[in-house]
Amino acid sequence: MDRDIEQLNSALNSVKILRSNVRRVFESVSNGLRADHGEEIKENRYILELQELLTTVNNNLRDVENSVANLTPPPGAFNLGNTTYLSQETTQDRQQLYGQLVNSYKWTDKIREYSALAGNILASNSFNKTYKTFGTTKRRKTQTSNHNVPPEIIENLITSIDRLFSDVTITASRPFVPNPVIQVALGRVLRAVIAFKGLMIEWVVVKALSEGSDVWTESRYKVFRKVTENCHAAMCHFHSPLMPDLAVRSFMHWFHSYITLFSAPCKRCSKHLHSNLPPTWRDLRSLEPYHEECK
Amino acid sequence: MGVTILAQFPVENKTGPQIIEVLSKRICALGATPQGQFLVDCETFTSVPALGHQRTVHVLHNSEQPATVFALLETGTKTIPLVTDGLFDLLIMKMISFYQSKKHTKTESKGPRFEIGDFSVKLGTVNITSNFKGILVEVEYKPCVVPAMCWDLIMEFMQGFLGSSGPTAPPAFLQNRMQEIYSPIDTIQQYLEHFTIFRKSTGPTMVMRPQQP
Repeated sequence: MDRDIEQLNSALNSVKILRSNVRRVFESVSNGLRADHGEEIKENRYILELQELLTTVNNNLRDVENSVANLTPPPGAFNLGNTTYLSQETTQDRQQLYGQLVNSYKWTDKIREYSALAGNILASNSFNKTYKTFGTTKRRKTQTSNHNVPPEIIENLITSIDRLFSDVTITASRPFVPNPVIQVALGRVLRAVIAFKGLMIEWVVVKALSEGSDVWTESRYKVFRKVTENCHAAMCHFHSPLMPDLAVRSFMHWFHSYITLFSAPCKRCSKHLHSNLPPTWRDLRSLEPYHEECK
Repeated sequence: MGVTILAQFPVENKTGPQIIEVLSKRICALGATPQGQFLVDCETFTSVPALGHQRTVHVLHNSEQPATVFALLETGTKTIPLVTDGLFDLLIMKMISFYQSKKHTKTESKGPRFEIGDFSVKLGTVNITSNFKGILVEVEYKPCVVPAMCWDLIMEFMQGFLGSSGPTAPPAFLQNRMQEIYSPIDTIQQYLEHFTIFRKSTGPTMVMRPQQP
């Protein structure tokens, strides 16, 4: 028990040191070049200082990892043991103890719960990748970020989607350089205006082929307004920050099923119309048509 | 402009206004809102014998396209459609010495107009020189432009308020144009098709429906 507490203390200590050193790094970065860097070669000095600080942080991080690895996780929820009898204490000055005890018990319980959650999340989103490739000559696959992607990547994605479906024609315009707005004509059924933010779909409007192509006005037809609504739902459903290109691809696959918007009857009621609208919903997996009310 | 289907509604010993009232009630019960009136008219001109082989020109107007005049020239072997602006009416008046108006052929279909969802429904009373001839029901599904895609849907809608007298097959005119993009002249062609049938018949037309087996 004593050993455990000792280890816990040293782990907490190393976390404290790490935090203070990371803080120093940020301080130094925010201050930038200072007078004490001298006049000449001040940039070099500054870079050296930053390097030194970062090395310290790296070492501290290693210490934290080591000390955390030594800790034994508590086997289960804590047992209050004999201390529960404190509630039956009659002496005035000891009665307060029980309240404090309960509070701290709640607190540890919460910590347990949160750390379990955090542990799960961190385990599934491991950042080990970045460490492993440090200093190795193996070329790392460039991680696609969501917001800041070179225009060529988006361009490639759009052309690959264009090739995927023969009855889809895509025209792209770039009002703001990295964020294209594309018009997707789905056969002779409808046209969608899709605005991208990096590799993510930001906005979708569905209109009739004869209607204008701006992003802001919605269609004058009820059926396309409903489809727009459903596209927004699908856009959120397919959204995946880790694999943005896959999200766009799945969305386009789903969207392509609207080619039968007017011709396919509802899968459930096998009718074309329900409240004067054709089946405006497409199942997200099976892509089968359903009425809003039948899904 | 969407796909429009025109169908004749059987009269069966009722007067025109009675049928219009029944149909208006039905469509309003489905949730439609009245949106004014409409009018499609047709006047027919024939070429004078001096021009040789006789040709017929049908001049039609549709209140849906108020600035447009439609003309269909029948040469005997084929029909040439023409979509022009309003000045064509004046031009045809100037050509009175070559093309003369056929007597008692001024045909029109007019009546109330309804909107329901993305559909617009027009219940037209057909009169030839103010003689009642029959009822034409026009249904337009505005978002769609290819007849083949939305024919089943429109048929379901029409059967919904016309009952068994709703159409069961696409109009003859549309049958070989199902895959093409629909345009206002196609509506006019359908009207002319029906007007021609009305002109050939005498009195209010009794539509003979094939017996269901």
